[in-house]
Amino acid sequence: MNLKSLFKTYKAKLLIFLAVFGPVTITAMADNDAAGVATYSLVGAKYGYSILFVLLLVTILLAITQEMGVRIALVSGKGLGDIIRERYGVKISVFVFLGLMIANLGTIIANFAAIKVTALMFNIPTLPFIICVVIISFIFIWKGNYRTNQNIFLVSALFYICYIISAFKANPDWGKAITSVVLPTDIKITRGFIFAAIAVLGTTITPWGQFFVHSFVLDKKLSVDKLKYEQTETFFGAFLTDFFSFFMIVATAATLFVYKIPLTSGEQAAIAIEPFAGKLASILFGLGIMNAGFMGIVIVSLSTSYAFSEFFGYEGSLDAPFEKGRSFYILFLIQLIIAALIVLIPGISLFKIVFYTQSLNGALLPVVFFFLLKASNSPELMGQYVNKKWYNYFVTIASIIIIIASLTTIIGFFI
Amino acid sequence: MFMLYFSELQKKRVQTEDGIFLGYLEDLVFQASQTPRITKIVIRTKEEKLIISVSEIKKINSIVTIAKNFNTAELVVNELFIFKNVLDKQIIDLKGNKVVRVNDVVINDKPFLSISGVDIGAIGLIRRLGFEGFFYRLTNLLSIKYNLQFLSWGDIQPLELSKGKVVLNQIQEKLKNLHPADLADYLEKTNIRNISKFIDLLDKDLASKVLSELNPNFQLSLFRRLGEEKTDKLIANMDIDEATDIISQLSPKKRLQILNKVDPAKKKQIEKLLKLSSTSIGKYLSTEFITVKSENTASFVIDQIRKETSDIEVLDYVYVVNYQNQLVGVFNLHELLLQAPDTLVYKFMAQNFFVAHLQSPIMTIIRKLIKYHLYALPVVDSEKKIIGIVKIDDISEYLLDSNKI
Repeated sequence: MNLKSLFKTYKAKLLIFLAVFGPVTITAMADNDAAGVATYSLVGAKYGYSILFVLLLVTILLAITQEMGVRIALVSGKGLGDIIRERYGVKISVFVFLGLMIANLGTIIANFAAIKVTALMFNIPTLPFIICVVIISFIFIWKGNYRTNQNIFLVSALFYICYIISAFKANPDWGKAITSVVLPTDIKITRGFIFAAIAVLGTTITPWGQFFVHSFVLDKKLSVDKLKYEQTETFFGAFLTDFFSFFMIVATAATLFVYKIPLTSGEQAAIAIEPFAGKLASILFGLGIMNAGFMGIVIVSLSTSYAFSEFFGYEGSLDAPFEKGRSFYILFLIQLIIAALIVLIPGISLFKIVFYTQSLNGALLPVVFFFLLKASNSPELMGQYVNKKWYNYFVTIASIIIIIASLTTIIGFFI
Repeated sequence: MFMLYFSELQKKRVQTEDGIFLGYLEDLVFQASQTPRITKIVIRTKEEKLIISVSEIKKINSIVTIAKNFNTAELVVNELFIFKNVLDKQIIDLKGNKVVRVNDVVINDKPFLSISGVDIGAIGLIRRLGFEGFFYRLTNLLSIKYNLQFLSWGDIQPLELSKGKVVLNQIQEKLKNLHPADLADYLEKTNIRNISKFIDLLDKDLASKVLSELNPNFQLSLFRRLGEEKTDKLIANMDIDEATDIISQLSPKKRLQILNKVDPAKKKQIEKLLKLSSTSIGKYLSTEFITVKSENTASFVIDQIRKETSDIEVLDYVYVVNYQNQLVGVFNLHELLLQAPDTLVYKFMAQNFFVAHLQSPIMTIIRKLIKYHLYALPVVDSEKKIIGIVKIDDISEYLLDSNKI
């Protein structure tokens, strides 16, 4: 084979990959929503580079779990909601859906809260700003089709580059940072550290993320023969997500951790790093949080809408016109409005909301993984694409780790 | 007669006549066809699943009682399960759009145990969650009205079910190619709401044709649903005989209103026919008929005929009425003789039948008799009570009298 034809085959493959590319990366990037950024900032400030080792583990777990979702979606043509309803009936469906909806609402509120805090930092009046965010988000989802919205999300994902610049401005010890990812460095196993590690895991691997990756891949209407490409994207997306998480942690580790500045809330990180990393880094970090908040609001809310259509059998697609997907679009809007209203209530304890949301997410995650494992091992649903034997061990171990972690979070809250 | 939901049947205890507990009802087997007859039940016992024919069922109330010495049955071709294949499945239309999910399945026992349709409403969900009683109390308390959302089995393609899909007949597109008479025939099997929805979708000419083929009971209730303007247009568009037949049943005021919209030449002809009809069928009305009740047995009916019809010259049909004396069915003597002595009337009577009215023009009655190969048509009043019959041999005199032949 000469070089030219070799190039041709790879070019063809690359073009298919680019056509397929999108949904999984977007889901993975949305895992770094504003709540995620806040968590990374907090753990970076408190545990420095040592927490970076957790990222490696989280990346692997995220890739494995997303791959399962993508595979089930492409092979069975069904969303997670479809599968739960058809195999486990109404009672379980309603229970899971309500849990997901409430937890998602909490996540949306957390994202709005982050946007509000950052708006204050930039001296933007919060009320008009939040109203604008609701209206603009709804118009994009309502008017835009799948392709438009996917591309908007991808552009939004590009904005995460802000964190890279912020991290560089913070003048970190790059050698130490990189070795900390691969080798456990300076780790002191304390109760606090374990909870920090679990928090990183919990903000990356979420029930809504598992639901969303299913639905979003489905909505792209790809055929099974694209599975290989989509699996490749899964690993790429997981890597990319934690690639950016790395810089978020580094930005606070190199500043707040090094100078031993305690950070009370993650949203304050943008302001807190200014004295050490400079004005530009601070602004970029703030813009990054805003962008992450925007992405979180839209995608988490979409995941509830998708799940509703799946559980109850209504048309739910970004490509469907409003008349056909009425419940899908209206539910999307209602969530934004409720979350925005709650955030605007003065004196409301956001800490409590985030706390309950995390508990609920922690309780839901084992349930979601139970369904994922059941579905991906069902020959009736998956045919030849059931989990391979060795892979199944891997997936099961990954799921058990996540389940233990999420249960620890809940128990940890009460001791 | 009962109508119940699958969710109310499922998990019911199953025991034999002599009180031996077998297990719980898990699923029902039905024929995936236009008439989704329920043929078997699946019982989950401690050790296994039993499949038993419905003919073994003795009683269904709070428990399901089956015969003492029941036999198990095997599935045959084209049989599907309600729980496994229908419940909770996604309903899509012909274009593949998602519509809703099957929240519950509606079962009726008349004339035989069968599926009449699926519940697609929120109430179906609430029932499955076990909150139905609470929900009804709440809505009563707040005097809120709710609608049951129900999809008739006629709207579902039985063929696709076996492929694991619940697909709707998109009647708008599929049925447009049918002949108007067949279309009317099909529509008469569904309910009036479906018909009016459908008529709305058809173009004017086809709608008029279909409308004129429908039986008069349907026509009148349809007009009420479609509203004045649309009705007038449709009638003006019909051919003369059919229009006359329909107009003759309306009040004089309404007649005038419609006639004013018909073009003059046509109007003249219709008026002429209407004049003829004013003295119409009273002369040919016969009282030589018999009515029976729908819940009598075949042998009872035969006895009744023996006693009551000795003075009747020829008896072609037996008419079935309900307790309000309204006509609900009809069967002929041959059909009656074919039945086992204890078969109940409603199980074999025809529920779709043609009727005439006192005002119906004779020509349209004759046309109907010939077209549908009938020996007689029942004549009913505005409350659907039977007043007499018009027999083909009597009415053929009219043709001779008026030198039409």
